Amino acid sequence: MRKEGLVRVLVLLVVGIFLFAGGGLAADKPVKIGFAYIMSGPFATYGQFAKQGAELAIEEVNAKGGILGRKVEAYFEDTAGKPDVGIRVIRKHVFENGADVVMGIDSSGVAAAVAPVMTELKTPLIITHAATPDVTGSKCNRYTFRVSLNINQNIAMAAAIAADTKVKTWTTAGPDYSFGHQSWEYFQTYLSRKKPDAVFLPQAEVAFSPAATTDFSSYITKIMNSKADGVLISLWGGNLIDFVRQAVDMGFFDGKREILMTLGAATEVLYALKEKMPTGIWVGTRYWFLANDTPVNKAFVDAYVKRFNVYPSYNAHGAYAAVKTYAAAAEKVKAVDKEKIVEGLRGLSLELPVGKITIRPEDRQAVTDGVWGKTAADPKYPIRILQPIRKFTGAEITPPVAETGCKMN
Amino acid sequence: MKPRAGTLFAAAAPAAFLLAAPFFLSTYWVMILTEILTMSLFAMSFNLLFGYTGLLSFGQAGIFGAGGYFAVLSLIHGPSSLWAAFAAALLGSAFLSMIIGWFCVRRDEIYFAILTLGFGMMLFTVAHNWRSLTGGSDGLGGFTLPPLDLLFWRGSLADPRHFYFLVLGVVFLGALLLYRMVHSPFGLLLRSIRENTQRLSFVGADVRAVRLCAFVVAGTLAGLAGVLFALFNRIASPEMLHWSFSGKAVLMTILGGSGVLFGPAVGAAIFYVLEHVITAHTTNWMVFLGAILVVLVLAFPRGVLGSLLHLAARRRGRPRP
Amino acid sequence: METFLANLFNGLSWGMLLFLISIGLTIIFGVMGVLNFAHGSLFMLGAYLCMQFVRWTGSFWTGLLLGPPLVAALAVAIERFFLRPLYGRDVSLQLLLTFGLMLFLDDGVRLIWGAAYHVVQPPDALSGSVAIFSQSYPLYRLFLVVLGPLAGLALWAFFTFTLWGKLLRAAAMDRQMAEIVGVRVPVLFTAVFAFGAWLAAVGGALAAPHQSVGPAMGERIIIESFIVVVIGGMGSFPGAFVGALILGLLNSFGTTFFPQVQMALPYILLAGILLTRPRGLFGAES
Repeated sequence: MRKEGLVRVLVLLVVGIFLFAGGGLAADKPVKIGFAYIMSGPFATYGQFAKQGAELAIEEVNAKGGILGRKVEAYFEDTAGKPDVGIRVIRKHVFENGADVVMGIDSSGVAAAVAPVMTELKTPLIITHAATPDVTGSKCNRYTFRVSLNINQNIAMAAAIAADTKVKTWTTAGPDYSFGHQSWEYFQTYLSRKKPDAVFLPQAEVAFSPAATTDFSSYITKIMNSKADGVLISLWGGNLIDFVRQAVDMGFFDGKREILMTLGAATEVLYALKEKMPTGIWVGTRYWFLANDTPVNKAFVDAYVKRFNVYPSYNAHGAYAAVKTYAAAAEKVKAVDKEKIVEGLRGLSLELPVGKITIRPEDRQAVTDGVWGKTAADPKYPIRILQPIRKFTGAEITPPVAETGCKMN
Repeated sequence: MKPRAGTLFAAAAPAAFLLAAPFFLSTYWVMILTEILTMSLFAMSFNLLFGYTGLLSFGQAGIFGAGGYFAVLSLIHGPSSLWAAFAAALLGSAFLSMIIGWFCVRRDEIYFAILTLGFGMMLFTVAHNWRSLTGGSDGLGGFTLPPLDLLFWRGSLADPRHFYFLVLGVVFLGALLLYRMVHSPFGLLLRSIRENTQRLSFVGADVRAVRLCAFVVAGTLAGLAGVLFALFNRIASPEMLHWSFSGKAVLMTILGGSGVLFGPAVGAAIFYVLEHVITAHTTNWMVFLGAILVVLVLAFPRGVLGSLLHLAARRRGRPRP
Repeated sequence: METFLANLFNGLSWGMLLFLISIGLTIIFGVMGVLNFAHGSLFMLGAYLCMQFVRWTGSFWTGLLLGPPLVAALAVAIERFFLRPLYGRDVSLQLLLTFGLMLFLDDGVRLIWGAAYHVVQPPDALSGSVAIFSQSYPLYRLFLVVLGPLAGLALWAFFTFTLWGKLLRAAAMDRQMAEIVGVRVPVLFTAVFAFGAWLAAVGGALAAPHQSVGPAMGERIIIESFIVVVIGGMGSFPGAFVGALILGLLNSFGTTFFPQVQMALPYILLAGILLTRPRGLFGAES
């Protein structure tokens, strides 16, 4: 904590000197960004990474003179992953902290609660993690944007990979809440389009585990004894770690079944599992730090590793990307006025570490490239990496607007 | 008994504060106050069972949340009317607490607590798993706020201050009902159940019926608080029904003092203000909240309001009941 | 058959962990009348300390041996300084106090060890798996399945044949009578609380190799342990054993056969038992 504070003071000092030298370039009022992540409890590690990504981006923006010459200030609040707390902190950002924009949201449940409220608060929200399709679908609205991949995009990639396998029958292991169920439903829809003869186990035979599960043995047994030869795993965070460790011990990864983990390449998970993560498994993520060689990505990864001594996770990238996106939108419309920013974000294209993204004006979802890959060991890295990597363009994985159910008023 | 000037002042000052607050507090703090009031009603309904009847319910959130869901369902599928939503929630939660209470009031103490926890969690599972009706884990949100029409005044629920006054009015009515109830013969009956269940049944009172009655009143008021909570957050979510939410009511009640009617309200205020102040400084707020709770329990065994009143009474040399 | 056996072992191994935690909970309630909300946090602390010892020494057994006594020592402090002033006061105060302790400990470990998930490897002797019919089954889980009844047997012997065990049972049955015949109840209380905490920490250390070590692990297990204790009968030793078995098996077979209502199964069971047997399966009827 203290170290962070020191760094922040130093940065402010540097920025201050820079601005002073620039001859009072800065307008007096700073641009305020309110972040809302899970900072406590079992998923706190996601919030921690996001905070690091956000701080890095803000330092970079401020080092270049801020947004339209105005310094950027960050406020972090803890959603605790609960909808009511999420709404409270968003309101706090808007009414108390005077935020010009709100970013973040890890949990889909919180995102689904917060998104409709943004029309009342008349403040842009940039979602960086939560993947529920509804917030850019049936619940889409003028103020809610998302720069990260959503369930549809991630599952479209999973379906493309699944279509190339020899698997006849698919089952799933997922969390027993909307995220897990929606992942499985989209998987069936998308894969059936590519492969009409694909078979999916009925609802009673797949394995959905409650969020509080720590012992996955009975779910693993259930899958191993089913007739499925392909498994879509949408578990994430601590659940995924527990699942993988117990599955390894139970001989789940014996090569008899094809396995796709939709969020298996999250560095939070890879750092915890290290060599316990089996190799040769298809894993997805929202961002992979080795996926492309662009200067933008290299600069981001280098700066991040130098500053925090770990590889950036997708959540770190999400927060970083949101700040950069906001800055680009402000430069585009030459204002940070909330309504103008909304216009600036609509249809905005920019280059981010993940690649070039375009925010679709119709539903506010970013059309962004995605990667899946097979886990592999590499002595140069402390964690499993992806080798080979399979890249997808945003255009091929993003469902058309008509399919999202988004009707903007 | 004639009210003393001090007592009158003690009652008038908070009332004046609550009425005037929206005119000098910032919008955000008005919203916090709205939440405190809502949770006060919830915790006070819990305390009718706990403090006055001696029944520790860990399933109160189940009915609180159900009230929220009934209201939102009525808004989505029925007329866009606030009063219809209230009516649906009141009827629904009264009915639910009748059924659950019928089973639970047969048991005492810890068994009652665990049994209510069980029923509460069954309701949670329904809200969490019945996706087609309840929206599953994402909850039911995105509904249009109904108009706020009073006889001579038309407000908007989207305005935080209008909403505040609605909540203040509803919570006032709920508190009034509770006040009248605990100071009636029925309230005496409840307290004598808490003191000695057996003796009461010897003198011919139907303990179960009295308890069930208290359970239904408490449940209905909890449901009412649930409506306010769901409307305030623009969503009814399964978290509202979880046992940990019941735990919040328990916490606030013991914190403020279970022996006093407004103890839970004071507890709710302390809880929210503490949470707000601590989260502003650290993300490890639970460490501090936990430590402060431990200290408060040891320093104020009757709860904060309870201990203060006790102290005041002792100063005046008049023992309180 | 294989499915049945696998489910049986899955349920038994989880049940045995639950048993170790519940037994402490039930003894503490039986003797002291305290419903300890922080019990899950002591379980979690056992796992964290085990992880720390594994980091230092590389040996799981050191962690299992040295971690739990530390937790017991902490429990002694908790009992002396926090719980003792509350004896004879309202039970709800103890509830709130232990709840506060739970928040403090759960978040405290995050201050010390960070928010990331931690992993503990099972000892070499117990890693790997054995074949059960055509399926391989992890050795560590079988170890838990065997360990549970052994621990139960040891505890039973302790309660039946040793002086301390007899004192404990006497105090659990009738506190006043024990005091009259000369038992030093305050010392006994401290011992009971520390012993229960030690058992919970042993459970935590044993759980560490098969689930990720994180700040929420205690909160997750505490409710299930409550259910075990209540359906078995508060303060009942065999009740905790049977209750843990039932819950463990319900968990594994429920996953296979009733996936849609699986989340509610423990609560339905709980309500069903309490409504037909008010004091639980092995509780003394009053």
